[in-house]
Amino acid sequence: MSLRAGAGNLSAAPVSPFVLKAGAGLFLLVLWEIVVRTLAPGYVARPSGIARVFFTVITDAQFLAAAWATLAAVAQGLFVSLIAGTAVGIMMGRVAVVEHGLRYYVNSLFATPMVAILPLVTLWFGYNADARLSVVVFAAFFSIAINACDGARSVPMEYLEVARSFRARPRHTLFDIIFPSSLPYLLAGIRLAAGRALVGAVVAEFFISIPGLGYYLLYNSRTFKHNEAFVAVIVLVAVGVGVEALVNWLTKRYLPWSRRD
Amino acid sequence: MQQQKNWLRYTTIAASLALGAIGWEVAGHLTSGAFWAPLSATLSSLVEAARSGVLLKQGGNSLELYLTGLLLAIAVGAPLGMLLARVAWLRVALEDYIMMLYATPMVALVPFILSMMGFGFAPKVLVVFLFAVFPVLYNTIEGARSIKPELVEVAHSFRSGEWQLWRDVMIPYTLPFMMTGIRQAIARGLVGMVVAEFFLSPSGLGQMIMMGSQNFDTAGMLSAILIIVLLGVALMDLGRYLEKRFSAWKGYNP
Repeated sequence: MSLRAGAGNLSAAPVSPFVLKAGAGLFLLVLWEIVVRTLAPGYVARPSGIARVFFTVITDAQFLAAAWATLAAVAQGLFVSLIAGTAVGIMMGRVAVVEHGLRYYVNSLFATPMVAILPLVTLWFGYNADARLSVVVFAAFFSIAINACDGARSVPMEYLEVARSFRARPRHTLFDIIFPSSLPYLLAGIRLAAGRALVGAVVAEFFISIPGLGYYLLYNSRTFKHNEAFVAVIVLVAVGVGVEALVNWLTKRYLPWSRRD
Repeated sequence: MQQQKNWLRYTTIAASLALGAIGWEVAGHLTSGAFWAPLSATLSSLVEAARSGVLLKQGGNSLELYLTGLLLAIAVGAPLGMLLARVAWLRVALEDYIMMLYATPMVALVPFILSMMGFGFAPKVLVVFLFAVFPVLYNTIEGARSIKPELVEVAHSFRSGEWQLWRDVMIPYTLPFMMTGIRQAIARGLVGMVVAEFFLSPSGLGQMIMMGSQNFDTAGMLSAILIIVLLGVALMDLGRYLEKRFSAWKGYNP
């Protein structure tokens, strides 16, 4: 990560940023360890305890199956939302009637915490993996649709005029102009959607009690195995940060022309 | 022409809303009552809840929880973010960890909070707080990183004191970013509120939804969900307004 001097007087700092970051990390871990050892009961997760169980848990077949179940559901849900959300979003962005017809529904469902519909979804699908998948889709779809719509609307007028002057076919206009110039928005939408999908999947597992990282977390923390449960948190953090980093990298690498922040 | 377009627009919007309402009503009559309730039943259940005072009580509970958590998050996140904006070495030391926590699905911590703190108001506030605080922090730090060093140097050259530096450079520069963070916190805090009401001690609108689903009172459940949808929309508009209001000078690069 590049280091911009920013407001403070960083040149006066005697140490390299890497040492500073590593030192802060170490400090936080030690602080956590000490606080838990002195103030909290023995079952509470602490770094030494997590380190002790980390490899046993991460190689445990049951844990791996749980992680796979959750991440597969998130990936599937994101895929469905991506296809459907892009289609709906681009239509909304380019066709006024569609936009006026769907705007209130999409906007208000985007603003709704999808956790709230969990009980309803379990009524529809039962207490099973389908309910989890549908919560993931509900959580992810609207952020992708909204961003795709913004993206499709942001296409520079001149590009469309040039396309029209050259008598481009509609599908060429769509795939060569509208779609590429919506991509930065779409990626931003995916980043938002991935975070929401992950939350949706974990909450659904809490609620439905089907195998997955969320349920693993809930079960182990209920039986006071906090160290084991925390390994699941680490995996979730890694996935969250990984998606964030991937989207940032893709945007920088392939869409350097995008002027969004 | 313009008038005709406007007319078409409002007709489409009205038609789509009417169609949605009719669809809701018809779906309620076609399916079993356990799956979906007609709009009319939902609305009468809502009126009933409002008349008996349940809605006011539960809604008030929810809002109390939400506002306490959110305001705490802002009260902690904003000054801390500002501090990190000014003290560069501390920011460099902590920003990656804050980014990590920003990307973490905070709901993963709910089982720990439940098993350590049990039931009550405080653990629920903690959940809302955790959902809301990191967007504020993260975005404020993003703002701090965007402050041009020259601005601070110029301020120093003109012998700005610490207070003047804050007033003229730091706060105006980081405020728009902080508002983006607060907008995100407003949305995430609402998710935190529902999660806390579902999984910690049941209360508020979350409890209304749960009770509706347990008693197969689908109309009651839908009416509570409807309130949450309306709350979400209102809060999102408020967040957008705040962000817009304070971002008039964002991206202003003289």
